[in-house]
Amino acid sequence: EGSKLLSGLLSGIAQTTYYGNADITEELLRGQLYPEAAPEEFRALRAKMGGLLQSIASADMDLNQLEAFLTAQTKKQGGITSDQAAVIAKFWKNHRVKIHESLISQSRWDNVLKNMNWRVDLKSQSRHVDQINTPVAIVEMELGRNGKESEFLCLEFDEAKVSQMLKKLSEIEESMTVL
Amino acid sequence: ADKISLIPQDFFAELCEQIIQHLNHKIPGINTAELCQRIQTSGIEINAGDLAKIANIFSFLFSTAARNNLSTEELVITLGNAVSTLPKHALQVIRHVWNEQGKSISVSEDARNRASVGQFVDMKWKLGVAMSSDTCRSLRFPYVAVTLSVADPSGQVTDKSFEMSIPQFKNFFRQFKEMAAVLETV
Repeated sequence: EGSKLLSGLLSGIAQTTYYGNADITEELLRGQLYPEAAPEEFRALRAKMGGLLQSIASADMDLNQLEAFLTAQTKKQGGITSDQAAVIAKFWKNHRVKIHESLISQSRWDNVLKNMNWRVDLKSQSRHVDQINTPVAIVEMELGRNGKESEFLCLEFDEAKVSQMLKKLSEIEESMTVL
Repeated sequence: ADKISLIPQDFFAELCEQIIQHLNHKIPGINTAELCQRIQTSGIEINAGDLAKIANIFSFLFSTAARNNLSTEELVITLGNAVSTLPKHALQVIRHVWNEQGKSISVSEDARNRASVGQFVDMKWKLGVAMSSDTCRSLRFPYVAVTLSVADPSGQVTDKSFEMSIPQFKNFFRQFKEMAAVLETV
């Protein structure tokens, strides 16, 4: 029935727009959900629903904002029915977090720390006699950008450097209390 | 060699000093970018790439000389034909630096193993909040941006920048705390 189909349509729209699934084309959706509908009719429906979803996602609406928004849409000329509003509301409640994360991810085009591994080595062979048997931490960081191959950064930290790092990281943590 | 003549004597002396200190493991790296900025501020046109190349050349020269236990005069002979192309003040600095510190440079054993591992020098950070983007007007996404200064085995210091989400940062912090605990017990 109508609700299931609309729900399916919203999922399909989310797949292309937010989850990067290029396979879900307009044709595919129409064929699967509204095979009897004329192409222009379907296109209009898809555009309308896509537009609503975009407004909701862009504002990252909470439940109050969502209710106000959808109520206003039901009162508009050429707006939506209250059944449709209910379907959209349910869809947003289920997908809000995932869609928001996807939008955040789209905006992070600089290097991001993807992964980090480390081990502690004992320097058994060294340039300096006094460095033998000093432990050092070897840290490998994977840095990546959207759509590019990762870069691996391999760094050595002795105890003093780890302390230095911990001090900086504490500063960062302290400054986070204002968030 | 012509680029070397661009560098004023005191800056060249400072560069050689840093190289010797690096070879003696007193400093993790030679900060050519910073030195270059100061040289440029004094009106000399030299770029960081050229300065880095010069640093590499003299680093290699001094470490080879140390390994072979060369005296100052032998070092000058090693320079060979290059001696005539070097400006007088540069030669003076090389002689002086080697006279004073040449003997103190310890010979490096096995640098090749560490070829791909850099030394952590320092870290800069900032805490930001991404407010909006073209696809989302209400991002409100907090993140930590850091820039690590890293010295490669030859002493060159470069910056590597990256961002972390708050959960990623918390994990990063936790890993370093674990590292500290392990280093302490080893």
